[in-house]
Amino acid sequence: MADNGLSSSNHESTLIKPTNLECKNLYDYLKTRPSNVLERLYNHPTICLAVYRELPELARQYVIRILFVEQPVPQAVVASWGSQAFSKEHVYVSKVLTELAVWQEAAIPGGLLGWILSPTFKRNLKVALLGGGKAWSMSSALEADSKARDVTFLDAYSLERWECVLHYMVGSQQQEGISADAIVRRKSGIFLLQYLDTVEERGLDLVECLTFLFQLSFSTLGKDYSTEGMSPGLLVFLQHLREFGLVYQRKRKAGRFYPTRLALNITCTQNKGVTNIEEDSPKGYIIVETNYRVYAYTDSNLQVALIGLFTDLMYRFPNLVVGVITRESVRQAFRGGITADQIIGYLKQHAHPQMLQVDNRQPLPPTVVDQIKLWEMERNRLTYNEGVLYSQFLSQADFNVLKEYAQSNGSLIWCNKEKRTLVINKHAHDDVKKFWKRYSKGN
Amino acid sequence: MNNIVMPSDKPPEITSTDETSLLVIVLDSNPGQKMLKDNPHILTHCVDSVIAFANCHLMQKSQNKLAIMACHSKASYFIYPGPGKPLDVRQVDGQYEVFTAVEKTTKQNLSKLLSSENSTVVTESLLAGAMAMALCYIARMQRTKPLGAKLNCRILVVTGSGCSASQYMNYMNVFFTAQKQCVVIDVCALDQHLSLLQQGCDITNGLYLKVPQLQGLLQYLLWVFLPEPPVREKLVLPPPVKVDYRAACFCHRELIDIGYVCSVCLSIFCKFSPICTTCHTVFKMPAPLAVKPKKKKIKL
Amino acid sequence: MGDEDDAKEYRWETGYEKTWEAIKEDDEGFLEASVADIIQKAKRKRQALKQGSQKLGMMRHLYLILDCSDSMSSQDLKPTRLLCTLKLLEIFIEEFFDQNPISQIGIIIMHNKRAEKISDLAGNGRKHIKYVNTLNQTSLIGEPSLQNGLEMALSSLKLLPSHASREILVIMGSLTTCDPGDINVTIENLKQEGIRCSIIGLAAEVHVCRYLAKETGGTYNVILDDSHFKDLLFEQVDPPPAAGCLESSLIKMGFPHQINVEGSEEPLTMCMCHVDSTSEGSKLTTGGYYCPQCFSKYCELPVECRACGLTLVSAPHLARSYHHLFPAANYTEINFDKQVALCFACQRQFGESDKQIYECPKCKKNILHRL
Repeated sequence: MADNGLSSSNHESTLIKPTNLECKNLYDYLKTRPSNVLERLYNHPTICLAVYRELPELARQYVIRILFVEQPVPQAVVASWGSQAFSKEHVYVSKVLTELAVWQEAAIPGGLLGWILSPTFKRNLKVALLGGGKAWSMSSALEADSKARDVTFLDAYSLERWECVLHYMVGSQQQEGISADAIVRRKSGIFLLQYLDTVEERGLDLVECLTFLFQLSFSTLGKDYSTEGMSPGLLVFLQHLREFGLVYQRKRKAGRFYPTRLALNITCTQNKGVTNIEEDSPKGYIIVETNYRVYAYTDSNLQVALIGLFTDLMYRFPNLVVGVITRESVRQAFRGGITADQIIGYLKQHAHPQMLQVDNRQPLPPTVVDQIKLWEMERNRLTYNEGVLYSQFLSQADFNVLKEYAQSNGSLIWCNKEKRTLVINKHAHDDVKKFWKRYSKGN
Repeated sequence: MNNIVMPSDKPPEITSTDETSLLVIVLDSNPGQKMLKDNPHILTHCVDSVIAFANCHLMQKSQNKLAIMACHSKASYFIYPGPGKPLDVRQVDGQYEVFTAVEKTTKQNLSKLLSSENSTVVTESLLAGAMAMALCYIARMQRTKPLGAKLNCRILVVTGSGCSASQYMNYMNVFFTAQKQCVVIDVCALDQHLSLLQQGCDITNGLYLKVPQLQGLLQYLLWVFLPEPPVREKLVLPPPVKVDYRAACFCHRELIDIGYVCSVCLSIFCKFSPICTTCHTVFKMPAPLAVKPKKKKIKL
Repeated sequence: MGDEDDAKEYRWETGYEKTWEAIKEDDEGFLEASVADIIQKAKRKRQALKQGSQKLGMMRHLYLILDCSDSMSSQDLKPTRLLCTLKLLEIFIEEFFDQNPISQIGIIIMHNKRAEKISDLAGNGRKHIKYVNTLNQTSLIGEPSLQNGLEMALSSLKLLPSHASREILVIMGSLTTCDPGDINVTIENLKQEGIRCSIIGLAAEVHVCRYLAKETGGTYNVILDDSHFKDLLFEQVDPPPAAGCLESSLIKMGFPHQINVEGSEEPLTMCMCHVDSTSEGSKLTTGGYYCPQCFSKYCELPVECRACGLTLVSAPHLARSYHHLFPAANYTEINFDKQVALCFACQRQFGESDKQIYECPKCKKNILHRL
């Protein structure tokens, strides 16, 4: 079990390169792009719309307020829009808007500084909102599909595709499942970002692909879209998305495709806590009791396997599995590279409506949540400090002087009187060395 | 309840009102209202502004919900999402297809409605009825939402007609129901000052705005009514106008400072009368001593 | 329980009711739909009854008499009878003032054979809730004295003007009462004064309670569980029909409005309501409501002017009560036969499960749903 777990944790780290680990949402991703790329991106109404939605609440209001204003608005005026108590938020929001180049500073006659929306962004947001401009690439007219697919079909399809991708990535049967399925949506976002990084190597145009991806996210579930007029590169990209289960196509050359639920949620990675208000969204199926028992109403093998990763399964019925969370079972999951947050996140995300009824912010029993976290902390008993070893002191006095000095400025990590050795924090090394030189000179 | 703070936990984001919000717009499209009788073209302008505003609401968050109602003198109708299947809208330009759908559906249903309207012109619009329907719609959405989800609901009334005292009871019932259901009622008055609806805004913690000039309607809507109630506290918005809560007497319909109230039916009268005109109760005459000094003060 | 007002026949003498036949399983073997149906029917029945009685006691003066004796510490209601009651009372008081804004409540507790007034008749819900919250500290000792409690309420209610609707609501946990005199005399006095006494029993039916309720025109019910308790309590929220001896009169009231002189700042003033309270002193503020008669300032309505005794209300306060007096017309129930596809009000599609739908008697538009 142990080495199996090790291998899967390796997968985890190869799957997500550290460079992209930070980019959990669109904002972070775009922030790191150079301004000329942003400018190119803002040429597309879809991206403007997506960026607008990712902005903080207050920023959205600001943008709307100056959307129809042609001249720059004095910064002082903008600052007066927010109420006094939330001035910190105003500063933060201004920073975000500047970083994303949504607005820029402009001088106003009279020497004041003002804000004006980036002309490209403004123009294209207006297009998205009010119309005009060119149609999006996938919206050519289509005749009605004789074999139209409904929402349930698409949901089942996307889930199945993802399972395939996951199994492929893991190479094994089920070990890695949890971290992927648990946060499929977030993961699919991260995964795609990772994929986008390689897009250019594959000879595809990043801006084109991003635009298409956002268009996809603004499409309607259960509706078909045309592939007519798409560039060859984009068609290749579409095939990749088809592999991930983001779109459904009956045949490669079908001329139409259906976006799935996964595609729709690709851009709202940030607000993963949002519960969907639609009546047809999938319901949670897991009940966790304070006695650490987990009841999962499911008949899916994958889901059962996922639950089995961190619980000891007790009973299995046609539509119900009962397991119990124990220290051993959870530790085993930890050894497999799964974190406590992932387990809790999984349980929370799939909590049965019955549990949400009590308290929808924290549907799980707090004792269970705390205990899982405690079990995880148990494993992290070692703390690592970078240090420098001082040894071979000539006299006990020398040792004592240095020890006291290090102790006084808090850089001493460890010392042994008998062996006359000290370990000192690496950052303090230069300082201690200087002190030692001064001291030995004085003697 | 979790006492253990994991080192990986980040401090919470500054802004997060990640709740779904449902906006029901009640648009008074009664051709009989004074404003439209004088200049029928205003309606197009209003409808355009309202649609753009509605789309801005949908633009805020992907999960936001919208309904638009048209209010007439005889009845009110939902024009978005209209009855029947949603229109199959294909993009014609760069507009987001959902927005196109809102625009097309609304305009189509509204023109259908206006052409079916017979020519008898009634100035009064059934705003109270429309709001009641909006409340029904909201109640249904609340009922069918998944457990645990939070739905913020509000109603925006855009009207150019005056508020009539004949709907007083209906208005009050609607306001108190809305207050109970935590539905915020916002009112945007286009033509006349609406004191009754203003009371409703005050009761439900909504905003009231009499638009100074119709030309800039969209800007007024976006500035004042687009922010959802939770965001409003972060913005500086027009201060609440002091609402006149004086009652109008049943006999002369005049606002009074001191009046007499029937203990049986709570009708309000400006002068003492021995019999209640509403419930026909005969009153006991008050002792003369108690009355005289008070009467003098009224005349002051 | 004791729903029937005429206790002529005992329960076992009434007709043979096949109660179990009213409940039917649906296709999947669930009872919920059937139970919901029964509740719905009961609701409609209550709704229909409301239309009849026109004259209601609108200006209510209600004394809550709460048993705080030994028996309230019993744990058959969770966590204890007292705590459960207090929690429900809190909601009740809020709801009461919401529905009856120009009414007043007072609270009396009975313990150790004595009655003790916790709060006087007043119209401020928040204050009462505060008092109710302090009650969880009371020591539950001895027996209650129903007579003492009633006498105390009576002595206060007697002084009220004749147009006021006077009521007492007793919440009784004990099965016994320890009285100093003949309680029948007290009941007779209450009857004479036209004070309506309702009792909610937490344990079992007691003769004296039933007698009291019957004589004074109130209701007497014994709870089944806490949710039933809540239902019973909330039945008291709607104004009762006016007592026979209730006189009607015109009451002088003031409708304060905020004085607003264009261009000038309002002066800082203190309000009368907090001027002599020790806990939260009166603060200097600009806004407020001014009595139109003597110009004293109050920070909230409704209130009785301390200086000149005028009742100060605002128009919505009166309006809030109007739906009791002029209830909206009832919908007529019709069988669903695919006449229409959509509910007119909420736009929901009528489905197979909707057997009955409702129709507006005026405009004939169809409405789905449980009202």
